[in-house]
Amino acid sequence: MQTGNPCDTLGRNPDVIEATNLSKFYDRSVYALRDLSLSVDKGEFVFLTGPSGAGKSTFLRLLLLKERASEGQIRVNGHDLTTLSRSEVQEYRRGVGFVFQDFKLIPTRTVFENVSFVSEVLGVAPAQQKRRAFQVLKWVGLQHRMNAYPRELSGGEQQRIAIARALMNDPPLVIADEPTGNLDPDLSLEIMNLLREVNAGGTTVLVATHDRELIRLVGRRSVTLDHGRIVEMS
Amino acid sequence: MRAIDYALRHGWASLMRGKGSSVFAVLAIALASSVLGAVGLVTFNADRVLARWWESAEFSVYLRDDATSEQRGMVETLLDQSDAVSGREYVSKDQALARFRREFAELASMTSELGGNPFPASLEVRLQDRTDADGTGESLLRRVATLPGVSDVRYDRAWLTRVGQGLDAMRRVGLALALLLAAAAAVTVASVVRLGMHARKDEIEIMELVGASAAFIRGPFVAEGLLQGGIGALVALVAVFVGYRIGMAIWGVDLTVALDGMAPRFLPVLLSAALVAGGMLVGGLGGLIASRRAGS
Repeated sequence: MQTGNPCDTLGRNPDVIEATNLSKFYDRSVYALRDLSLSVDKGEFVFLTGPSGAGKSTFLRLLLLKERASEGQIRVNGHDLTTLSRSEVQEYRRGVGFVFQDFKLIPTRTVFENVSFVSEVLGVAPAQQKRRAFQVLKWVGLQHRMNAYPRELSGGEQQRIAIARALMNDPPLVIADEPTGNLDPDLSLEIMNLLREVNAGGTTVLVATHDRELIRLVGRRSVTLDHGRIVEMS
Repeated sequence: MRAIDYALRHGWASLMRGKGSSVFAVLAIALASSVLGAVGLVTFNADRVLARWWESAEFSVYLRDDATSEQRGMVETLLDQSDAVSGREYVSKDQALARFRREFAELASMTSELGGNPFPASLEVRLQDRTDADGTGESLLRRVATLPGVSDVRYDRAWLTRVGQGLDAMRRVGLALALLLAAAAAVTVASVVRLGMHARKDEIEIMELVGASAAFIRGPFVAEGLLQGGIGALVALVAVFVGYRIGMAIWGVDLTVALDGMAPRFLPVLLSAALVAGGMLVGGLGGLIASRRAGS
């Protein structure tokens, strides 16, 4: 969805995510993440994988600023997440799209309203909201279902709506937490292809999944976590 | 403007969705507002009578029957020299008797049975408006009372001040009761709004994650409280008005006599508007308390 040259003046893609010696603990004996250092370049598609409790969701929670790091540095889209004020958090979040396993669509709103809701709560003019919502719905191929309610859609369709919602702000980074966790293998691949298309437009995509077969099929860089540490990069 | 529009639209929608629980919040606000409205109605009418009495209040100097014209002259000179006095009138014993017979016709026959005129001559004095505030009326009263030929001095404003203080005390008690009920109403509104927030937790989470400002996230909940408060206060206003009309239909004449010939009036528009605004404020506060952590 994005346009423009993602390379910096040296021809190297600048980091969208840069974590340095990042740790998250709830008390000193229970580390969810330990000394994690990871860079994700602009325009990259990266899988974050590992068993349950490896620290994938914790890392994503730090990226979404639902929690703060205990130690270390983390920079995303040029923002130092360890020092952001409340108003800066709002500004930062407008540049990050998110997709969850359980879709988190609002059941009382139509597909169109679920998508345009993002612009509405950011105070965007109604005409602009509608134009953009229609554009992203068309892009995920569900413009014909715009008046349906989430309960009338299949799981795959609901996740496509969630992806459309994530793209409403045209964010430079999209984060997906187990986006195929509730879907069968065919639909999972369909969703991954959609995320690949998002990435092809220049958007950086970070996907947390424990589905190794899916990672193999998509064939992108993967970072494996275990007990809060990086144990493999491939 | 978009945040206000969004808050009002979604606040109203939430109110309609949670009709059952909203009724409790509306009733709690209505109860607090009814108490305040009823106290306001009573004190508003009592204030009207008090203001009229205050305007016609006098400082009366009663002269002894054996007071000489020189002694009366001394009293008049002292009154004329005082800045507190705006006018005076001499009422002779005969004029006082005639006035009594005119104003209390049914008791007029008693005066002829007494075999003499029991009413003293007096000087009726009008005071400047400021005299009750700066105490010059009281000071003049003390000086006049010591003059020869003076039997008694009556200062109407002294007891009117005491009536006014009684009315203030009543107002304070009513306000304290209403505040207590308003606090309970705010807690009820907060609980009802919190229920609505729980039902919309995914929506709130998404709003937080897309970077919506606190005005967009909390606005609908504050608006919901405001609307509950406004509706509750309107219900109270209607209830107080119905009570007033029923009271007038049953005791209208007695109340008019008790109020010195002034027919009781309903709360003026400004006070009614203040009551509704107060209800909205309490409701809005409840909504704000409930949503204070959302978006932070």
